[in-house]
Amino acid sequence: MFDVKHLCFRYPGQTDGWEYHFSLAPGHCVAIHGASGSGKTTLLNLIAGFLQPDSGTIHWEGKAIEQLEPWNRPVTTVFQEHNLFEHLDVATNIGLGLHPGLKLTPEQTKEIQQGLERTGLAAFGTRMPGDLSGGQRQRVALVRAILRRQPLLLLDEPLTGLDTEAKASLRSMLLEEKSRGVALILASHDEDDRKLLADHYWNL
Amino acid sequence: MLYRLSLLLLAVTLPLTAHSADRPVLNVYTHPSFAAEWGPGPGVKEAFEKQCKCTLNYTVLNSGGDILQRLRLEGTSTPADVVLGLDTATMETALQTGLIGEHERSLDALNLPIDWSDNHFIPYDWGYFAFVYDTEQLPEPPASFDQLINAPDDLKIIIQDPRTSTPGLGLLLWMHSVYGDEAPAKWEKLNNKILATTQSWSDGYFSLFMNGEAPMILSYSTSPAYHMAVDKTDRYQAAKFEEGHYLQVEVAALVEPSKQKTLARRFVDFMLTPEFQRHIPLKNVMYPAIDLGEDLPTVFDRLITPEHTFFMPPADVASQRRQLVNDWLDAMTR
Amino acid sequence: MRSTPPPAPLSHPGWQLIPGQLLGLALVILVALGLGSMLITAGGLDLSTVFNSRYLRGVVWFTVWQAMLSVLLSLALALPVARTLARYRRFPGRSALLRVMELSLVLPTIVAVSGIIGVYGRQGWGTGLLNEWFPGHGWNLYGLNGILLAHIFFNAPLAARVMLQSLETIPPSRLRIASQLGLRGWWLWRSVEWPALRPVLPGLSALVFTLCFTSFAIIMTLGGGPAATTLEVAIYQALRFEFDFPQAAVLAVIQLLICGGLWWLVFRQRLESSLLPNRQLSHSVPLKPWPAQHLLSAALLLVFSLFLLLPLLAIGIRGLPALLALNTAHSIYEQLLPATGRSLLIALPAGFGSVAASLMILASINKTKNPIMKAIPTTTGYLPLIVPPIVLGTGLFLLLRPGLGNHTQGWVLVALINSLMALPFVIQILRGPLNGLDSHSLRVADQLGILGWYRWRRIYWPLLRRPMALGLAYGIALSMGDFGVIALFGSPGQPTLPVLLYQQLGSYQVSAAAGTGLWLLMLLVFIFGLLSAIGRPPAHLQKKRLPEAALEPKHV
Repeated sequence: MFDVKHLCFRYPGQTDGWEYHFSLAPGHCVAIHGASGSGKTTLLNLIAGFLQPDSGTIHWEGKAIEQLEPWNRPVTTVFQEHNLFEHLDVATNIGLGLHPGLKLTPEQTKEIQQGLERTGLAAFGTRMPGDLSGGQRQRVALVRAILRRQPLLLLDEPLTGLDTEAKASLRSMLLEEKSRGVALILASHDEDDRKLLADHYWNL
Repeated sequence: MLYRLSLLLLAVTLPLTAHSADRPVLNVYTHPSFAAEWGPGPGVKEAFEKQCKCTLNYTVLNSGGDILQRLRLEGTSTPADVVLGLDTATMETALQTGLIGEHERSLDALNLPIDWSDNHFIPYDWGYFAFVYDTEQLPEPPASFDQLINAPDDLKIIIQDPRTSTPGLGLLLWMHSVYGDEAPAKWEKLNNKILATTQSWSDGYFSLFMNGEAPMILSYSTSPAYHMAVDKTDRYQAAKFEEGHYLQVEVAALVEPSKQKTLARRFVDFMLTPEFQRHIPLKNVMYPAIDLGEDLPTVFDRLITPEHTFFMPPADVASQRRQLVNDWLDAMTR
Repeated sequence: MRSTPPPAPLSHPGWQLIPGQLLGLALVILVALGLGSMLITAGGLDLSTVFNSRYLRGVVWFTVWQAMLSVLLSLALALPVARTLARYRRFPGRSALLRVMELSLVLPTIVAVSGIIGVYGRQGWGTGLLNEWFPGHGWNLYGLNGILLAHIFFNAPLAARVMLQSLETIPPSRLRIASQLGLRGWWLWRSVEWPALRPVLPGLSALVFTLCFTSFAIIMTLGGGPAATTLEVAIYQALRFEFDFPQAAVLAVIQLLICGGLWWLVFRQRLESSLLPNRQLSHSVPLKPWPAQHLLSAALLLVFSLFLLLPLLAIGIRGLPALLALNTAHSIYEQLLPATGRSLLIALPAGFGSVAASLMILASINKTKNPIMKAIPTTTGYLPLIVPPIVLGTGLFLLLRPGLGNHTQGWVLVALINSLMALPFVIQILRGPLNGLDSHSLRVADQLGILGWYRWRRIYWPLLRRPMALGLAYGIALSMGDFGVIALFGSPGQPTLPVLLYQQLGSYQVSAAAGTGLWLLMLLVFIFGLLSAIGRPPAHLQKKRLPEAALEPKHV
């Protein structure tokens, strides 16, 4: 269970701030909707630890995580773009998600290859991100996120700007994760995302 | 990893400079033209080490000025035992550091155009400042300062800056000795013939004179000896000026805080022996400080011999230099 | 949930913060010590001596005046060259020209000046041609002409390279729009080029100004006479010949005030940006040309290439006989080779050291938000440029006084100072690429725990290997050609290459000196060539990118 309690944040120099308060069970997905500047990304960044809250707590399975560094939190973020390191090939990009120093066991190397195969990217392991289409890049990012096996996925408009086909394949990957008990927080403008993925829906 | 590599490289340099510990070490501060491989330095080192059972160690500083600078900074903790390569223009300042010891040597062997009786500094070579000219560009050089100053402006000369160079200052003193108070006016007249006033003798000689930029450069009366003896060419000669020439004397001295005083005295004694002096004529391209007799290379017979020698006492140079330089600056920038 | 791997080695934030802070502090203390000791000897700072002396007022005025002119002219030449090179990204000789442009900055002055005189001097080829075509042209190298010409020779290529890199960061989409709209001339400049250049211009101008402001040997050799005297000359004069510490201190403070003030202005306007932004690979976009633009561009590049190459050629012609004379009893190589070894022993550690130090300094600047802690390492990028070497030397001397008699320490010290002097250049080269990662990528790296050593190895190293190779080349080359620092401390009898050159000059061995100059030039060419080849990413990565990208265009 993820418990976010009275999580407050205000950007320096601004008068208005946000307060978030909610719980999310494993295997559930919440879609957040709102105009830009409404605080979607802020929430995701707070949970991921890229921003420090002014007050409030975040708990996972009863443990406080709001003081942890980003790399120690049980979450993985997929952004709309810039998820991949442009100068590293696809397999390396994924591998860095499994070990930050790329010290991979043979099983992990196999896992990466399987992940690529499952997403139809089997031949792309040695390609550079710049050679991939937008949909392919997001699939790579998602494969990495999935292989990290963190209990909470933070999705910051990951499907925006992709074509219908790409969206469909990514959605099915996300549904599979959900069914495995991963919790999802999805910031999205897209009506379809909400209908197909979300169990809960908030408008900020 | 890169950093580790660089440390490793540093470690490699260490053995290069190790000394043998059992022999006493004599530290001599000197300038590059003395210590260069083809300069007198290596020959002197070999000859002296053979008789002293010691290690002669040169620390090479850029110029006489730098030697003094280094001494001043190090003060009484200086490792120097002997300084070699000061000249009459820097002697007085060196004395004021209080770090120069009295030599208590007999100077009878000296063979200089002037009488020398300084208690601190011992000459090891000398020469005259002179304009060296390219006979191919200038078959008939001026025979006096007056002729030079009154020559048409298309005769170009290269001089050095008295603020940064020893010969440069030498020319200033030379003109002052010849013309006295009229010197600034003469400088003003000379100004149009000066192609360049370089920082150092080397810049002028290499970049300009040997590139053929001007037919005449301020240098030493002994410069042609090198070209004649080593380059085997008579192309470059010194112009003899009727008024006379200014004397340059290079000196060495003992450093007062030295812990090797006996050895240092032995070295300055050695300095006035033929074993040391015979390296001077062609390696330092100056006159030796003692009479070498037959050992003086024959090309030295073909050098100019001034009718008159100008020389200002070092104390006068020290007290007047700033005023003279300022007058010069005024004259040249007017 | 996966078990978290053990934390990355060296991932404690202190590793990024502290080394750079220490380096910065050490330098500031060094300068303060050097300057302080001079001021103490002087018994106080009395700036009025300068304003009361006609000579010194003239010196300050001339220093500023010639530096300003040099900046203007260097940039005026660099701008069209950079625009042309940015527009034409493929022609034979382009990369060779870029190499030569890197070279001119690191040439030892005495070698470069000899080359310039060989072309533009009274007996130079260029002047010879001029005499033939325009008799009575009145060209005279010596004076302001020569100073400006030499400063342009040194600085215009640097400026052009920096501008070129900025122009190359223009997003291709913007260029494509400009191409579609048929923009050219003023509007192309206004809408595309100026926005790309504007951020680097203040820093670039300040850099060129500082280099010309502190120029020394060029000014004296080509300046013609004492009317052309810069502050640095006056400082040298005061210290070395008159032992006038008060005067030297006052002049050094004035120099620090003027150059430091300039940099402070650049910072204050928040215009401070990297001189060499992250380089992006992009294909050239055909832009609408003026009639005859191709022809004019070709002519411009040809003239610029000749401007750079002719002096180098003059150095070559002058030095070649000495290098080819193998049969003489005393082969020149007997001295050249050991001197080369010694130079490398100093220059390699200095180069590696300055790259390593630059990385630490940049990491430290990026790590902290505290303005003072940011300022301390930042100064190291500029202080070595504007502090007269003699002040630095005095400071170091006082800092390390007891141990200086030892030659080994002397060599280490020389390598150290050399790497310090190269810092500003290396920092400028590395800063852009190091800061070039976007915030998203950094967040991703944070989340994945790619920290410390891992972040360096996986993220920065591939991005930085090229700029690091260039930085290393600059670091090595600058210390290779350096004469000043080594002379300051005194060397053991064994000379390095530049010292050998001066020794040969001091002993009338003019042709050998010319040979040494050429040897040094060739060595620098070799270093730049080798390191640029090493810095290139492995070939298989390069080749794979282009054809496949063409097959499968990415849709964004």
